[in-house]
Amino acid sequence: MTIPTRRESRREQHKKGSSGAKVTLRNTLIAYAFMLPFLILLVVYHTWPVFFGTYLAFTEYNVITPPKWVGVDNFRELAQDEQFWSGLRNSLKYILVVPVIQGLSIAVAMLVNRPMKGIGFFRTAYYVPVVTSFAVVGLIWTWMYQQEGPVNFVLQALGLMDEPKSLLNNPVTALYAVMFVTLWKGIGYYMVLYLAGLQTIAPELEEAAVIDGATRLQVFWNITLPGLRPTILVCSLLSTISAIKVFEEIYVMTSGGPAGSTYTALFYTFSRAFVDFKFGQAAAAGLVIAIISIFFGLINFRITRGGKADA
Amino acid sequence: MLEQPATTSPQRRAATAQETAHVASGLRSRRKRKNLLLNGLAYLVLCIIALIMLYPFYWTLITSFEPTGNIYQAKLWPSGWSIKNYVEVFQGTTVPFWRMALNSVVICTLGVVFTVGFAALAAYPLAKMQFPGRDLIFYAILTLMVLPNEAGLIVNYSTTVNLGLLRQDNPILNVLAQYAAVVLPGLASIVGLFLIRQAYLGVPMELIEAARIDGAKELTIWRRVMLPLALPTIVAFSILEFVAYWNSFLWARIVLRDKELLPLSAGLLELSGTFSTNSRAVMAGAVLTIIPILIVFAFGQKYFMKGIEGAVKG
Repeated sequence: MTIPTRRESRREQHKKGSSGAKVTLRNTLIAYAFMLPFLILLVVYHTWPVFFGTYLAFTEYNVITPPKWVGVDNFRELAQDEQFWSGLRNSLKYILVVPVIQGLSIAVAMLVNRPMKGIGFFRTAYYVPVVTSFAVVGLIWTWMYQQEGPVNFVLQALGLMDEPKSLLNNPVTALYAVMFVTLWKGIGYYMVLYLAGLQTIAPELEEAAVIDGATRLQVFWNITLPGLRPTILVCSLLSTISAIKVFEEIYVMTSGGPAGSTYTALFYTFSRAFVDFKFGQAAAAGLVIAIISIFFGLINFRITRGGKADA
Repeated sequence: MLEQPATTSPQRRAATAQETAHVASGLRSRRKRKNLLLNGLAYLVLCIIALIMLYPFYWTLITSFEPTGNIYQAKLWPSGWSIKNYVEVFQGTTVPFWRMALNSVVICTLGVVFTVGFAALAAYPLAKMQFPGRDLIFYAILTLMVLPNEAGLIVNYSTTVNLGLLRQDNPILNVLAQYAAVVLPGLASIVGLFLIRQAYLGVPMELIEAARIDGAKELTIWRRVMLPLALPTIVAFSILEFVAYWNSFLWARIVLRDKELLPLSAGLLELSGTFSTNSRAVMAGAVLTIIPILIVFAFGQKYFMKGIEGAVKG
């Protein structure tokens, strides 16, 4: 064994990389052995659906017999299907929830960011709907929305409604009633994210602005909001995409009804696949929804200026 | 004060000082009052929001204890107390409640153990080893996280069918296969891999080097060095996964034709169909489904919040 010269050892170091262990066949095999179970599942359940799903969109497929290539027929059918368009319209309407949920979550996050006694209780309380399943939450709100239920009671007490109505059985109110549940369940989740975002803003900045005579509104508008921009991007992106893909609350509460008023795009996909067993048609609809989500994702990047923190 | 001309008389100076002190204390008390008012207002708003967030749960809880009466009415206190609805659920005359609870426990255990285990294993080479294809794999995984996957349900269903996991020819094997069908699609968690990798990156390389020099095998290093040092993240992620598996119902409902095998969340929807004449029993079922989540949440709340924040800060 020879003692390596300084230059050799440096080259050796470079070859070893930052992490020390040598790149050898044995180490490579060990590395892949560690990742093997994860990678197999990843390919089968994450990568494969992306490619096979895209392929299925151009086929006729019922799971039992092999897919049959039909070209763009599925898309042509979609374009002529009034049900698909009304689902898409409802999905786009659902995006109305995004600015409301983001605005309220920022407000709530700022509220619970105040150093006050018992603030931990409130943070936890607001998070309880987040950790509860849509199956449970959906059922609870279905009951709450009944004609003689608590929601009616409150709306009438506040003078917002004259006579008792079953809000979920009314085509005019059903979609908004479901949107409220999405809002109610989501605020706590985004609140935690904004809380994390608020903690990245140096308090000195806000203090300095106050000393310089800035009003609360000015501080919020010129310091807090720009500081939150990276978080706003992440949150609005998440909530826009989940609004377009809204499904579970609708599945539990209204099943698309009444009179198709809560029938959204993903609900269309779901019923094409698991009710009608037209998997190719469903995959085509899924592809359209995916493209629309990408489009709205890009809009989000535009509005938040790529989420860069400084104004 | 310092800029005051030296010619001012001492009396005059004292008076000014007094005045200043007076104004200052006035300002201070005004600020104090303003703060008090602001805090009071903040508490009021906080309480109203808490009411909106928690009342639906409270209302379900008290209604589930009522034997009879106007079921959907808004109320602050139940009109009567009875455990009749819970007895009905526990007896499982229409819906196999205990079987569903068992299913939930099995699915949750399998799901959490393997999801966390696989992510913790796969994150180790990606964080601390040098091998060809490392960056490629890492970026491919991240791309998958961003890529929209609407076909997920559809293709995963066809994969599950094609793997033969839904056959019903062998009573015991098929139960296991159907549990697997529910759990498998969720086991490769990209978010989990990412979180745990971040935690591993913070482990000093010297520790691993030292262990390697001592002749420890990589698996031993993983188990004895990496896992303990990444424990907070692993606990946080486990809680997140527990909540996710416990609450999942859609996939289970799609895959499992056999009502006996449904987990609680999915079973609850089944319950709402079959028990439509007795919504109070379904409410009791809902309460029973929430309780384990609240217990886990109460114990792991700190880790849980950190896990969520970490997922974003990444």
